[in-house]
Amino acid sequence: MAEENSKGPVDTAHLYDGKVVRSSAPSRVKAAGTLKRDTGIPDDAMPEIEIPGWIETIFGGPVLTTRKFLPPDRMVVSLQIWSSASLLVLTFLTFMLTPVSGTAWFTLSNILGIGFIGLAIHWILMLIGLIGGFFGISQRDQRALLASYVALILVTVRFAGSKVEYGLSFLPEDETIQKILLILYAVFLVMYIEISSGIIRFSMLDTSIRTGEVYVMNVNAITRRYTRALSVTPAVAGFVAMLTLFINLIIPAFVGILDPVAANRLRESVELTSVYGVALGTILVFIIIASMFAINLPLRIQQYTERQS
Amino acid sequence: MAWSRKSAMFASLSIAMYLLGLVLRNQQLVTVAVVLLSFLTWAALRTAHGDVASTGKRMEDAAMDEGVQLQSIVAMRKTSSARVFEDGEIDVTVRIQNRSGVAKVLELRDRVPEVMRVKKGANYVLMEIGPKRETEISYTIETPLRGFYTIGPVCIRVQDELGLFHNEKEILLYDDFLVFPKMEDIKDAMVKSRVPKIFTGAVNIRNPGEGSNFYNLREYIPGDPMKKVNWKATARQDGKMMVNEFERDAVSDVILIVDSRAVSETGPVSRNSLVYSTRAAASLTQYFLSRRDSVGLVVYGDEIVSVDRDTGKKQLYIILTKLAGAMAKGNTPLKIVTNRIMPHIHRGSPIIILSPLEDDPTIIDAVRDLRARNFEVTVLSPSSLEFEFDARRIDRTGYEVLKTERDILITELRGLGAYVMDWEPDMLLFTALAGARGF
Repeated sequence: MAEENSKGPVDTAHLYDGKVVRSSAPSRVKAAGTLKRDTGIPDDAMPEIEIPGWIETIFGGPVLTTRKFLPPDRMVVSLQIWSSASLLVLTFLTFMLTPVSGTAWFTLSNILGIGFIGLAIHWILMLIGLIGGFFGISQRDQRALLASYVALILVTVRFAGSKVEYGLSFLPEDETIQKILLILYAVFLVMYIEISSGIIRFSMLDTSIRTGEVYVMNVNAITRRYTRALSVTPAVAGFVAMLTLFINLIIPAFVGILDPVAANRLRESVELTSVYGVALGTILVFIIIASMFAINLPLRIQQYTERQS
Repeated sequence: MAWSRKSAMFASLSIAMYLLGLVLRNQQLVTVAVVLLSFLTWAALRTAHGDVASTGKRMEDAAMDEGVQLQSIVAMRKTSSARVFEDGEIDVTVRIQNRSGVAKVLELRDRVPEVMRVKKGANYVLMEIGPKRETEISYTIETPLRGFYTIGPVCIRVQDELGLFHNEKEILLYDDFLVFPKMEDIKDAMVKSRVPKIFTGAVNIRNPGEGSNFYNLREYIPGDPMKKVNWKATARQDGKMMVNEFERDAVSDVILIVDSRAVSETGPVSRNSLVYSTRAAASLTQYFLSRRDSVGLVVYGDEIVSVDRDTGKKQLYIILTKLAGAMAKGNTPLKIVTNRIMPHIHRGSPIIILSPLEDDPTIIDAVRDLRARNFEVTVLSPSSLEFEFDARRIDRTGYEVLKTERDILITELRGLGAYVMDWEPDMLLFTALAGARGF
């Protein structure tokens, strides 16, 4: 309704001055007699207003969307299987590669003088990662998946003193195998995150298709591309990671062409074999990648592909 | 190239892990970070070019922002109709061409107006389109509300398979269409002019002179034709000659005045006074024009828009177009409208005012002036109070007070000799009109 001051003839007394009112107000009588509405506001009359929490305010929206999915289709089921498998392998690799020593809870338990608490927390974190992950995968629950990611990452946060240490004592001491196991662990962690988020993504897509929100042409081609990307991308990432981790072998190999003695010294160097060697490797690899972007190589590749075809 | 939330999360996670790994000398964390960064880099390489020249970029480079992949995508649209009535349907067909030699996975969304509902098909399509191929998507939209609308633009997005980065392009392809207010069949709940039309206008009067419907009896006046003498009535009047008088068939000038002031849109979007008024005006126009009367329209809100009286189907579409475009704006008083149009309309012509009768202190004066000049005034008043009360926007006390004020105003208008109908939301137009005329 308009505001009271702009309503015009609000005071209607003047309407009756010196006049005969010919009829009563039929509508009013009728309305008063027939109105059966109560003044309570029904639940469905009020629009749902969602006030964002502070986290949502920072991220500009809900971090996790709550959405009901229809029963999973074949693609989603296969992703669930792959995701469960990668979670299982990942948990096992985490268990193998991540000792409790160096973690905050290990230090805390030592301070308290109760040694098993640290180990218990360590295993609990891994169990949260495993069980939460399985629950999230089967129920397609994003909160459980997020808890699983956090737990599996948190368990690796420890002061390691540059050396690769294992959670299991019987694993080989060979540096190459150690690094390959590390790369495997990292690839499986990323794969687990990717495939489990793919479950949500494809569930949303499938629900949208089945509710008619979106129409998908040639679904098989699209899922085939995704499956191919799932196999190619980890391989590429693993290769890049290998380049960075084996920098203590790659640099000496190049130096060895000119000076075998210096190359040998480099190979034995503590700095190159430690985490700082990995950092150096990362810098070198990503300098190459950055220079590819700097010369707009992706664009040129795309232009070339478009022209060639 | 745009980042998705996922890629942003990956990037921040990898940087955090990398730095933490260096601080804690933890190769495990550093390795995970490197793998994550490689994931991102590979996806970015495959999605788009590196946008390294954000500053000092040449004009021609700006076109490249959408990515090479999208430059060869062309869209064309065809709609089944550019004019449709409320609750009608429009079939839309969008043809997509991939002029490059590389297959592409595209997300395509053809933007439809918010009030429209996609009834059949989908305007949002995910597709793989082969090299040098074209495909067609079609969907049907429902048009629930009158107005001028535009379909478009066509938004296209291409992203990497893992959903990390995407490029978007808007193809500026627009199609306008018009939704006319829907019409009811109102048959005989009608207004007739008491006086014949002075100017015949474009359509000839079918029965010039006398009509065929009995009107009343009166005493014989010399010159009356003998065939009009009612002999039975003459016999009953002791020899005083009585003649039959007939209602004159004539073409009327009907003037419709639609209130489109801001206040007329009070209530829900699909149920408010303006929606009802425009539908009523459309129905009345159709009825009168089908009876070969001439109809004029005045729509007033922030300005006065008028359509001069005329007849025929063309006039119907002219009026429907004006009604479709009526926007709830401004607060022009009715008195100004009537003062402006009165000199141009014939006395005795029926005037139908469609207004919620709110926020206008000049209503009574305006109707009094019209009645004083012998215009036959009918007021159809869709009650915005009812709309608001139904939508639970006012409480019962407020409703009762405002309703009483409204009833007093309506009573006053009735006292001036106008036919007034308090049109409640659930009432059909036919019933409302019948109520107004006291039928």
